[in-house]
Amino acid sequence: MTAYILRRLLQTVVVILLLSYFCYLLMTLMPGDPVDEMIMANPEITSADIDRLRALHGLDQPVWVRYWNWASSIASGDLGYSRTYRVPVTDILGPRLLNTFILAGAALLVALIVAIPLGVWAALKKNSSADYVINLFAFAGISVPSFWIAIVLILVFAVYIPIFPAGGTGSIAFDMTPWESFVDRLKYLVLPVLSLSFLSIGTYVRYTRAAMLEAMGNDYIRTARAKGLSWPRIYLMHGFRNALIPLITITALSFSTLFSGAIITETVFAYQGVGQLVFESIQSNDFNVAMVAFMISVSMVLLMNLIADLLYGVADPRISYA
Amino acid sequence: MSTRALLFIALLALIIGALAYVRPQLMRPGELPTNAELKIGITQEFENLNPIVMSMVATTYVYRMVGRSLIQLDEDSQWLPQLAVAIPTLENGLARRVSDGEREWIEADWTIHPQASWGDGEPLTCRDFRFSWEVGLSPNVGVPNIEIYRQIADIRIDPDDPKRCTFEYREARWNFNRHHLFYPLPEHLERPVFERFADQPEGYEQHSNYTRDPTHPGLYSGPYRIVNLGLGSHLILERNLHFFGDPAHIDRIVIMLIPNTGTLEANLRAGSIDMVSQLGMTFDQSLAFANRVQAQELPFRVNFQPGLTYEHLDLNLDNPFLQDIRVRRALVYAIDRQGLVDALFDGLQPAAFHNLAPTDPWYTEDPQRIVIYRHSRRQANRLLDEAGWVWRDDGYRYNADGERLRLRLMTTAGNKVRELVQIYLQDQWRGIGVDVRIQNDPGRVFFGQTMRRREYGGVAMYAWSSSPENNPRSMVSSDAIPSENNGWSGQNYPGWSNARVDELVDELDRAFDEQERLDLIHEILWHYTYEVPVIPLYYRSETSVTPINLTGYRIPGHQISAANHVERWRLMDADEMARNGSDAP
Amino acid sequence: MTTGSMSTGGMDAEVTGRQVDHEAQSMTRILLEQFLEHRMAVVGLSVIVLFLAVALLAPVITAVTGLDPDRQNVFNRYQPPGSHLDLSTHERELRVQTFLRQADRSDLIRFLAGQDLLEFAVDDEDLLYELVTQHAPMDLAAMLLELQDRAPDPAGNDLQALRNLVADFRSFHLLGTDELGRDVLIRLIYGTRVSVTVGLLVAFVSGLIGLLVGSLAGYYGGRTDAILMRFTDALLSLPILVVLIVVSAIDLGKVFGGTPLAFIVESRHESVIKMILILCLFSWMQAARLVRGSILSIKEQEFVLAARVLGAKDRTIIGAHIIPNVIAPLLVAVTLGIGNAILFEAALSFLGLGIQPPTPSWGNMLNNAQEMVQHAPTLAILPGLLILFTVISFNYVGDGLRDAIDPRSIRR
Repeated sequence: MTAYILRRLLQTVVVILLLSYFCYLLMTLMPGDPVDEMIMANPEITSADIDRLRALHGLDQPVWVRYWNWASSIASGDLGYSRTYRVPVTDILGPRLLNTFILAGAALLVALIVAIPLGVWAALKKNSSADYVINLFAFAGISVPSFWIAIVLILVFAVYIPIFPAGGTGSIAFDMTPWESFVDRLKYLVLPVLSLSFLSIGTYVRYTRAAMLEAMGNDYIRTARAKGLSWPRIYLMHGFRNALIPLITITALSFSTLFSGAIITETVFAYQGVGQLVFESIQSNDFNVAMVAFMISVSMVLLMNLIADLLYGVADPRISYA
Repeated sequence: MSTRALLFIALLALIIGALAYVRPQLMRPGELPTNAELKIGITQEFENLNPIVMSMVATTYVYRMVGRSLIQLDEDSQWLPQLAVAIPTLENGLARRVSDGEREWIEADWTIHPQASWGDGEPLTCRDFRFSWEVGLSPNVGVPNIEIYRQIADIRIDPDDPKRCTFEYREARWNFNRHHLFYPLPEHLERPVFERFADQPEGYEQHSNYTRDPTHPGLYSGPYRIVNLGLGSHLILERNLHFFGDPAHIDRIVIMLIPNTGTLEANLRAGSIDMVSQLGMTFDQSLAFANRVQAQELPFRVNFQPGLTYEHLDLNLDNPFLQDIRVRRALVYAIDRQGLVDALFDGLQPAAFHNLAPTDPWYTEDPQRIVIYRHSRRQANRLLDEAGWVWRDDGYRYNADGERLRLRLMTTAGNKVRELVQIYLQDQWRGIGVDVRIQNDPGRVFFGQTMRRREYGGVAMYAWSSSPENNPRSMVSSDAIPSENNGWSGQNYPGWSNARVDELVDELDRAFDEQERLDLIHEILWHYTYEVPVIPLYYRSETSVTPINLTGYRIPGHQISAANHVERWRLMDADEMARNGSDAP
Repeated sequence: MTTGSMSTGGMDAEVTGRQVDHEAQSMTRILLEQFLEHRMAVVGLSVIVLFLAVALLAPVITAVTGLDPDRQNVFNRYQPPGSHLDLSTHERELRVQTFLRQADRSDLIRFLAGQDLLEFAVDDEDLLYELVTQHAPMDLAAMLLELQDRAPDPAGNDLQALRNLVADFRSFHLLGTDELGRDVLIRLIYGTRVSVTVGLLVAFVSGLIGLLVGSLAGYYGGRTDAILMRFTDALLSLPILVVLIVVSAIDLGKVFGGTPLAFIVESRHESVIKMILILCLFSWMQAARLVRGSILSIKEQEFVLAARVLGAKDRTIIGAHIIPNVIAPLLVAVTLGIGNAILFEAALSFLGLGIQPPTPSWGNMLNNAQEMVQHAPTLAILPGLLILFTVISFNYVGDGLRDAIDPRSIRR
């Protein structure tokens, strides 16, 4: 078991290293560089200025040299300096990560709370009208463009019926009590969370329904029924518990994609999260920020994959890692 | 079952459709803002506020609220002293031409305002300017435009009074005193950082107090100081108690970054921001919003101010079709510029005749001095007929070699107004048999590569924004044609070369007499409009939305931001509104 | 529509029936019946066929209604649905220009010049242009109708032609106009073409790539499998939207310049082709995993072992046994992939990185509309609804297919 984990970990590290170079290469393939951004802002910059600044930022060196410099500074614990904001990457990334975590976490929670009962209900009432409506709802969830649902939500709940703020992370004010600022944050979270969770509710409902159907078709359910157990006991203790295993996996995996999945939601709602930061940093060629965010995202996916695999082993005794 | 599902879909569609048709009714965003707080929305990112390295437009906008420069340009395009007591000129005797027989230069005496001080009470002196100049010239500091510092050869401080100093300029130019971008740095706070990190590339920027401790009051010299800096999110400013000018009326200003223009507008209507700065709505959006403000009597004022930003088309003179002056003129004649600005901008962005804006003191539209092309499709067709381009049945013109008159029209992708204009132009030129292919690059490719290397094959649309009375050398001189030899420097992207114009731009720098300068620039304009290396389109207008009770606010018609006079902004209360009516000055 | 798909199914059944045995025919029929039982899938398929038909018929619709997706009317921007509008003066002049070039109209001009239709004097050459721009089309049509009886031939014939021309100077916009006064309906129709084409092509090509990679990995196993699958996993672990944002910023002109592929950059549809290429590059991984998975399970089954023992070649085994068993799940994945590709295209275009104007796609129409969402909400609502309907339809069809081929769900 330990050997297996070690081998997988090693593999993961190698993959992360290779991917980091791949991403770096992709970024450099994008035309232009941070200095070009300055040219756009200031037409009085001369070409001599441009060359001076490129040399100063090390942009005149070949890709692999720049990658090596970047990678070695990362290895030494220095995440670098954001060219756009002119502050260390950690200063800008830290609060954004927290914001995204709050948004994504809340959306996941809402999605699970709504989706699991719906999914179970649909499975138990298979082919009933409830099943159809829930299914339609779930299909709409996975089929709707995320930016569009965001626009519609803003239109309905911030413009026509102005009950929620149209965008932003929170009110900017000094004199709020902790309770007030908490309520304020909540108000700003409602629409982004709604739009983000609407998308994942679809996925979870469908997974729950499928897993539940699968579980209910097993022999032990028949046995339980034959034993004359009560219905709730059959559904919850035997059916749902077994349906949980695949559900946990998919939840673990979706944790990692929430990170990049929030880009569009954050952009439309002007939510100060890491997704929006990544988008901005790619747009403005802010390499250091984009690369760190890239690496966090990739590592999370790979790690969650690993954990999901290991969890399988724990949950299902038939699988062993000899 | 599926009928029910279908009904459900239909119902959903119906609700959404109904919502789309019901126009939202009057929504007053609560009460009018008061002098206690003003919340301004912007859509562009800002960086930290170190004046010497800042390069983003939004940072410059904000910086004007917290920092001052040596001189300024007011709303009527007049140069006024700001941190200085007076602007030295040859006429007032504060500046003089000096010569050592070999070369000539200028020396000017500057005096800093006696009460000027940093936000921590430390007096602001010539030493802070000298320090800023030193930092600006350091090879390890990423100053965007080094010419601001390089034009000064030395700064000599009066040993008896650090508020007085003499600038020695490298060259004798008439516009030596235009120091609106020369900002002081607080030497008492920044000198130790600079000395410690001076030999490290970007060391100073990364460790500066502006980066590490941005709320330190001593960093700011304007009417406000930063009390909270949330990069990528917001800025909170409060009155600077040590400001040397009139104290500001508004206690606190909150600047919120809302990158999405649609969301920005929703926030304005919902009252979570009170005002949208010039760096906010797109022009199209402002127009629609202005109509709505009028129709629903919303408590806002939408401001439009034509500025110095000059939207134009560069014609690549390497293109064989465009080398023919008749083709270039036909292209100008075919564009209905007035129609364009009327249709797309409600006439609120003025059509352009040449590269100088109407707010520039050098401006002219005298047909004796420049060539003016009035829209005439017939004239355009005649010129193309003359140039040997004949119509074919497909609705396009072809030359004797059977080549179609096809031009590529490029601009920055994602700029909606430009894309609209581009499609409008495509349509207009189709009317004279020109096949226009649209190809857009993202901004950074467009400026960093396509334009800089002159890789645009035919026509390119973009804008310049320059200060008033600016020498157009970098756009018209043949030295400024970017090429391998000059390291791709200069912005004469059409590749226009005219020996007389080259002489004129040199003479312009040395012309200390105002009338002489006027004659010189008008001669340049004549060549520029006669030969048509560039097709002028329109001058961009700055737009902003302000609460109806804000007074003392004006958008200047130039690139120095409206925030330059932030201390004059005042929010009237209900009584005053009632007394003065909503259009109080 | 339903009959259409049934006949195709019947034909397939016939072909396979003749080649293999009687059992297969009933199998196909069972599958078809299964699919038809899934009501929503059938509804979805109908929607798709309807959309496809509209998309294919777009040029016909343009010809019949006279609506052109690129034709602007800049003085009538953001008009509400159901507007009757006059063509822009520019467009009218263009049509007069064509009218004048079609034939010698000097008789007509001489006749009209004597009728005092304008308040000021103009050259004969400019007369028609001034007429159509100075008078509103409705007024002009009325004036010309009055003149019709008095016009001597041949001017009379030309006058008739001019009246027909003027009659077309008004247009009806069922869904209103956009930011350049273009008709929204016809742009949505042309947008269907782009969005659905991108969806179909991307799903098909990435299905092919997935089939290739997956079957190589699954069949040969060992090192080939390890390398290919690690590569697939690595790509899967990338945050896909972020990568797409980066990749779509890369300038194809610089990548393909000077190669035989340079024609792509030159083409008018560069951004569409680029979109398809990019999406294909990053959406085959799921299909590859799926194919590999099914091959691994099939490889161990008795009939493959039997074939191998009987001395069948690799090619035969892959072709006759493995591929047919893999195709069905792959087909489901491809169908579901269409919806995803459409969503990605819309998202990228919405961010301004996908299909570039003036080519309409649902995504870039939304991009244009979002900042004006409070002033012209229909512009933002409609493209989104179309995306939703299309994607949900493909997803239901995919679901129907899955149910149909899933042996556990077969109900006899």
